[in-house]
Amino acid sequence: MNPVSRGIRNAFRNGVRTGSIVLILGISIGLSLTMLVAQTAVASKIKSVKSSIGNTITVAPAGFSPGAQANNVLTSDELSKVQALTHISSVEETLTDRQSTTGSSTPSFGRFGGSTDSSSQTTTSLQSPITLSGGPRFLSGGGESSDSDTTNFTLPVSFLGTTNPGSVSGDAITLSKGQAIAGTSDTNNVLVSNKMASKNNLSVGSTFTAYNTTLTVAGIFTSSNSNQGADNTVVLSLPAMQRLSGNSKAVTSATITVDSLDNLSSVTAHVKSTLGSSADVTSAQDQADNTVKPLNSVKTVSTFSLVGAVVAGAIIILLTMIMVVRERRREIGVVKAIGGSNARIIGEFMVESLTLAILGAVVGLLIGVVGGQPVTKMLVDNSASSTTTQTAFQRGGMMGGATPADSTTRSRPRSFGQGLRRNGAVRGFGNIKAQIGLGILLDGFGAAVLIAALGSALAAGMISRVRPSTVMRTE
Amino acid sequence: MIEVKNLVKTFQAGDSTVTAVSDVSFNVPDGQFASIVGRSGSGKSTLLSLLGALDTPTSGSIIVGDRDDVTRLQDRELTRYRGRSIGFIFQNYNLVPSLTARENVMLPMEFARVPKAERRQRAEKLLGEVGLEPDQMDRKPGRLSGGQQQRVAIARALANRPQLILADEPTGNLDSATGKMIFDLLHTLSRTQRTTIIVVTHDLEIAGKTDRTFTLEDGKLVR
Repeated sequence: MNPVSRGIRNAFRNGVRTGSIVLILGISIGLSLTMLVAQTAVASKIKSVKSSIGNTITVAPAGFSPGAQANNVLTSDELSKVQALTHISSVEETLTDRQSTTGSSTPSFGRFGGSTDSSSQTTTSLQSPITLSGGPRFLSGGGESSDSDTTNFTLPVSFLGTTNPGSVSGDAITLSKGQAIAGTSDTNNVLVSNKMASKNNLSVGSTFTAYNTTLTVAGIFTSSNSNQGADNTVVLSLPAMQRLSGNSKAVTSATITVDSLDNLSSVTAHVKSTLGSSADVTSAQDQADNTVKPLNSVKTVSTFSLVGAVVAGAIIILLTMIMVVRERRREIGVVKAIGGSNARIIGEFMVESLTLAILGAVVGLLIGVVGGQPVTKMLVDNSASSTTTQTAFQRGGMMGGATPADSTTRSRPRSFGQGLRRNGAVRGFGNIKAQIGLGILLDGFGAAVLIAALGSALAAGMISRVRPSTVMRTE
Repeated sequence: MIEVKNLVKTFQAGDSTVTAVSDVSFNVPDGQFASIVGRSGSGKSTLLSLLGALDTPTSGSIIVGDRDDVTRLQDRELTRYRGRSIGFIFQNYNLVPSLTARENVMLPMEFARVPKAERRQRAEKLLGEVGLEPDQMDRKPGRLSGGQQQRVAIARALANRPQLILADEPTGNLDSATGKMIFDLLHTLSRTQRTTIIVVTHDLEIAGKTDRTFTLEDGKLVR
C-alpha cells in the first residue's frame, strides 16, 4: 500500500464524518460552480449586448418625446459645430413629422413645433398601410372608452427627412424599384415602402400630396419584417422636409458615428458641451451601460458569492484537517518513530484532503448542474425586475400608451423609446443560457484542488511539528 | 554494540529546570538482552526515547554500531536511523488502526524502500514467527487481542532487521501469562537473530531474566 492509497483509505475511516464533510463541501463547491456559471453566462451576455451596440451617439432636442409635443428643435447650424469635432466619421440628421390622412379624424401626435391644434395641420392623400383596432382606447390610455369604441383607425403617415435616405431609424432599407434619392438635395422626390405603395396604388413616378405639395415617388423600398414604422414612413431629403414643413434648418434627431469605440466617451462629452442644454445626448455606450446595469449587479453578486463559497470550502477542509491531525497526533508520532518522513506523512494527509475535496466537487457538480440555470435566471430576473420598476417610475408619463406607440417608435428619432427598448432588453435577459461546459468543469475541479491545498497547508505545518517522542506518552 | 556517554536531558518546567536523565553512561554489546528498571518518573522512558532518537539529548553521545554519534544526526538522517537501525515496541502497541496486521508490518519496510513483493513475504514470515495465524494477518488492530497486537508490534519492530530493539514496558498492558509469552519471544529473538534488545520494565522478575539490568533513580544510573 502506498501513501496515495493510504490517504484515500484514511478519508473513509469514519463514514459518518466523511459523508457530512463531503455534503457540506459539496454544497460549498456547488454554490461556487453555480456562481461561476451565473458569472460566465452574465459576462457572455454583457459582452454580446455591448458588441451589438455600435459606436454611435444619438442627439435629440432636449425634452423631445413622441407622446408629447416638442417645444424646441435642433438646427443644422448647431449640428455643424458638432460635425467639426474630431473623431467623428459622420453625422446623420433627420427631421420627422406626421401627416393625418385626408378625411380622417385621426388625432395627431408627436409633431414638432408645439402645435396641438389638429385643425392647423395639413393632411396627406396617402393612407397608412398599418391599421390598428381599438385605437381610441389605446390613445386615451385605455381607461375611458367602452367596448363600442373599439373601431379600427388608420395611423397618421410619418414623413422622414434625412441626410441618409438609405436607412430608416437605424435599419437599412433596400430599394426594390426606382432609384435612390440624395439626402442633401432639395427635391420633391420621395421613397415609399412597398406596403405603402401597395396600399395607395403607387408606382415609381406616381404622385401624391402632402404639405399641400405634390410629391413624386422616386423609389420603392422594402424594410425588415419587424420594422412596421418604416412601412408607414415616407422618406425624403432633409432639405426638402425642412422646406415642406416650414421649419428651415430644423432637426429632430441626429446620429453621430464616432471613428472608434475608444473615442466614444470623449466625443460624447465634447458633443454634450458643444450643444449644451438644448439637446439630449446619449451614446451607445450609455445605452449599453444602462442595458447591462442589472447584469453587472448580478455579476458582482455572483463574484462575491463565488469567492465566499471557495473560502468557505477551504475553511471547511482546513478545520477538518486540523481536527484530523489533532486526532491522529499519536499515530503521526508512531509513523515518524518507525521511519516515516514529514514529506511522506504530509503527502498522505494531502491525498486525504484531496479525496474529500474531489468527492465534494462531484456532489457540487451535481448541485451546479441542477442549480446553475435556475439560480442565474432568478438572479437576473430579480435584478431586472427592480430595474424595470425603477424605469417605469422614471418614465411613467410616456408609459401610458406604450404598446401602440412602440410599434411606431421605429419611425421616430432613435432616442425615443429608449426606455422601452431598455425594458425590452431587460426582458431579453431571461434568455441567458447558463451551461456547465468543460471549462467550468475544470474550474470546479481546480477549485477543489485549491481548496484541498489551502485547507491542508496548516495541517501540514502541524504535522511537521509533531515530535516522534509523543508516542512514548501513555494516555 | 551501543555506547552511551554522559547523556543528559533537561526540561524546562515553568521557572525550574528538571533533569530527566543525568550524566548516564553505559554500553550494551551486540545480541545482549538488557533491561532498565526504576520507579515511575525515574527517567526510564526518556532514556529510551533518547536511545531511539525520538528526542534529542541536552548533552552526551550515543553511538550505535559503527555509526556516527546519533545525537549529531540531521533530520533526514535521524528518520533513516529510526527506520533502519531501530525497532520500537511500545506498551500500548501503537499500531496504525486503519491498516491490517500485515500492512502494519510492511509499513517500516515501505519507508526503507523494500520492494513490495519482498515486503509482503517478509511481513507474513515475521508474523508467522511471532505466532500470528494467517487469518489474523488481514485483521485490523481493533479486531486483535492485546497479546496479538503486541506480537504484531514485535514483528513490525523486526521488519527492517534493526541493530537495536527498544521496548517500553512491552508487557505492561498484558496479563501475566501473555506477558511471559511476549518476554520469552523477545528473549528468543535476541538469541536467534543476535539483535540487541533494551527493555524498560517495572517487573523485576522479567528484569531478572535479562542478560543485564540497569537501574535508574532520579535520572541517574545507580547500578
